[in-house]
Amino acid sequence: MASSQEKISVYNLADLKNTTDDAIPNYLNSLHFTQSHRLTDVRLALGYSALALAAACFAWDHHLGFAATTHLTACAVALYTVLNGALTAWMLFAERGAVYEGSAPGPGAGGQGERVRIATATPRRNVPVYEMVVEVVGRDGARTTARVSRGFAEWFDGAGRFVAAPFQEVLASAVPVIGRADPKRAVVKVEGEDAAAAYTPEMLDMLARASAAGSAAETATPSGNGGAKRGGRRRKA
Amino acid sequence: MLSSLQNPRQAAAQLMNFGLILSTAFMMWKGLSVISDSPSPIVVVLSGSMEPAFQRGDLLLLWNRNFFSETNVGEIVVYNVKGKDIPIVHRVVRKFGAGPQAKLLTKGDNNAADDTELYARGQDYLNRKDIVGSVVGYMPFVGYVTIMLSEHPWLKTVMLGLMGLVVVLQRE
Repeated sequence: MASSQEKISVYNLADLKNTTDDAIPNYLNSLHFTQSHRLTDVRLALGYSALALAAACFAWDHHLGFAATTHLTACAVALYTVLNGALTAWMLFAERGAVYEGSAPGPGAGGQGERVRIATATPRRNVPVYEMVVEVVGRDGARTTARVSRGFAEWFDGAGRFVAAPFQEVLASAVPVIGRADPKRAVVKVEGEDAAAAYTPEMLDMLARASAAGSAAETATPSGNGGAKRGGRRRKA
Repeated sequence: MLSSLQNPRQAAAQLMNFGLILSTAFMMWKGLSVISDSPSPIVVVLSGSMEPAFQRGDLLLLWNRNFFSETNVGEIVVYNVKGKDIPIVHRVVRKFGAGPQAKLLTKGDNNAADDTELYARGQDYLNRKDIVGSVVGYMPFVGYVTIMLSEHPWLKTVMLGLMGLVVVLQRE
């Protein structure tokens, strides 16, 4: 919740991306998606074993000297190179910019649904455009990919506060699995109307102020405005 | 920014990134050591005793393998003296015998006398094993940073602190 109140510099592309990246797991986990930490855990394991090896190498070098441990050090350097190469390869070929991996809530208690993987990038330098590649693998193994490319201004207000609702709407509308889990946010695009125009800067400011007013809004029930996209219940971001 | 530290995996990853920078630098150094067979393959000239060849602050690249020929007269070598922790860069001016038992005498180009005064008490010559490496390349002046750092140790703390802060606060 702190992240939705925190202001970032809207001129800092890395801040924009990181804040938005952080919002994805928050949102999906709040929809009872089950997050998988496999990618991060493998990366941490590779990185920390390389670190441990370097630390061990430093220790024996410090205590026994170089001449006595040359062969051991040579082996350690070779192994370190392999571990570091594996880490780089893992980040390049396995993670590919993924910020979320998990599975949708399935039918029944604890059931597993489609597997979802979201990779994000800011493909062009100094252009505040956020690109999401959402891969969904259905229970029958069918793979679908959705590409979403949107400007950050759609979910950041002028002061640099992240506003959850429009961002969640983008995700829920573009990815059917998420839309099904959160039908209130899923917007069917009307012909001729650009979805980007759904939120004006003034409305973003209003939403930001409303969320700053406290999380009491969380309990406000939107009964009676089903399908409305603007006044809906705010989710944690 | 700092709120990212609330997620333990993210915090661990950021700490890892910082550690990997240090450990990669260290392992590259060790790799260079292994390749050149020298405990310290890069040294910085601390004195003017080899002027005009080397000035204070020059960075020297060392090679400690004898693939093609032994260490011979005329080569500039870096050697350690028992009981002194600072290696010395001087030229080999005399050699008696051959192989690992050869006796070597060194002298600084800019010094009036040879190095017998600099050797340990009772030592009149060097053996091959005293030598850390022969100079095979140099970069002028680059090493002055390390002279600054060793003469003003607080600079090290400042630099390390700044580096750590930047890495922790900034997810690239």
